[in-house]
Amino acid sequence: MTTTEVPVPSSGPPPHPLPAEAYDRMTLVLRLGLGIALAILGLGVVAYLLQHPGASSSEVLSNNPILTYLSLSGLGSGLANGSVGAVLTLGLIVLVATPIVRVASGLYYFRQGHERAMAGIAFAVLVLLLFGILVIGPLIR
Amino acid sequence: MDLALFVLLLVLVAILAGFVGSLTGLGGGGVMIPLLVVVFATSIPVAIGTGFVTILATSSATGSTYVRDRLSDIRIGMFLEIATVPGALLGATVTVFLTHANLASALLIALGVVLLGTIPLVLSRRHVEIPVPGPQGPVARRLGLAGEYYDRFLKRTVPYRAARARPALAVMFSAGVVSGMFGIGAGALKVLALERSMNLPMKVSTATSNFMIGVTAAAGAGVMLSAGYVNPVVAAPVAIGTALGAFFGSRLLPALQNRTVRMIYVPVVVVLSVEVILRGLGIA
Repeated sequence: MTTTEVPVPSSGPPPHPLPAEAYDRMTLVLRLGLGIALAILGLGVVAYLLQHPGASSSEVLSNNPILTYLSLSGLGSGLANGSVGAVLTLGLIVLVATPIVRVASGLYYFRQGHERAMAGIAFAVLVLLLFGILVIGPLIR
Repeated sequence: MDLALFVLLLVLVAILAGFVGSLTGLGGGGVMIPLLVVVFATSIPVAIGTGFVTILATSSATGSTYVRDRLSDIRIGMFLEIATVPGALLGATVTVFLTHANLASALLIALGVVLLGTIPLVLSRRHVEIPVPGPQGPVARRLGLAGEYYDRFLKRTVPYRAARARPALAVMFSAGVVSGMFGIGAGALKVLALERSMNLPMKVSTATSNFMIGVTAAAGAGVMLSAGYVNPVVAAPVAIGTALGAFFGSRLLPALQNRTVRMIYVPVVVVLSVEVILRGLGIA
């Protein structure tokens, strides 16, 4: 690998660099989100195996319980009843939500720095993500 | 297959996918999806849905380290997500429609071809650590798409500035479509846009691509999850295994050469892609 020595660019860092706190918070969001999701999923897998001794993989592949728990009421009642499918679905929702929360925290810091263009971009990304999950997915089910 | 053995094998294979995915910055879906179809007899849409889970776990596990070390450029990453997210939504929607139209075999063949197509991109990555800065385009200048990072190898702070934003947006949209359609990170395309169009240093490109992959995958995963194409009993062991593999991979990365990693990745993907294409054609 070759390394090209370069002169310092005339325009260096952006005029309003994000504060160190923004990087720290985003790191925390990603680690915490992944940690929580994995803890829930791990618990769910163990509980599923204990509830289904001697089950075969073909039973799992032919029965996908996820649609039952994708509404708030379905997920809530599933968790209240101790359904393992609901626990696993919750873990997956936390996993998917983690980068979305990261985008929301980016929006917060760009707004704090009065960067209207970047805040607008972060807001648009957030709206697109929520539109895809809440509108497109259920619409084409 | 016995369910306990099935889950154990899923975790082990996902550790491998997460390990390779974190080392190459490509997300791991390219290894996991063909294996799900070929070894675990998963349907192609469920394999794609699970592929997004692989990417989400890899991206969160390794991306947090790159953000902490200020290697991921949050500003550039978030700007480009405006192109990858709609691309991923479109791609995932197309996949659902193809599945509804009983065209899953065509999807399988296309997946194999796309995976083979990423190999020249992986092999042709630029070998210049830090590029010579060129003029900045109007969009990049207006949004302040520039930054700096501390290079531990060079032992100095390296400033950089993004060059052309519009061509990068076009490539990123394509990367989003590919990612959304096939549940892969499309990291090779993303790195291409960051290195070639935006003229960013290699480390910033890899770290920013990893940072972006999670959001692109969240868009695709959201659609596939809502459409019912993620099986939680399959996805959960995959998420756990991938995160473990990515954790170990990110620890080993400093000790390995990029070339070594690619030499491991390429033959694995070639074999799996050919197998997937043959399955799609009804030969295997």
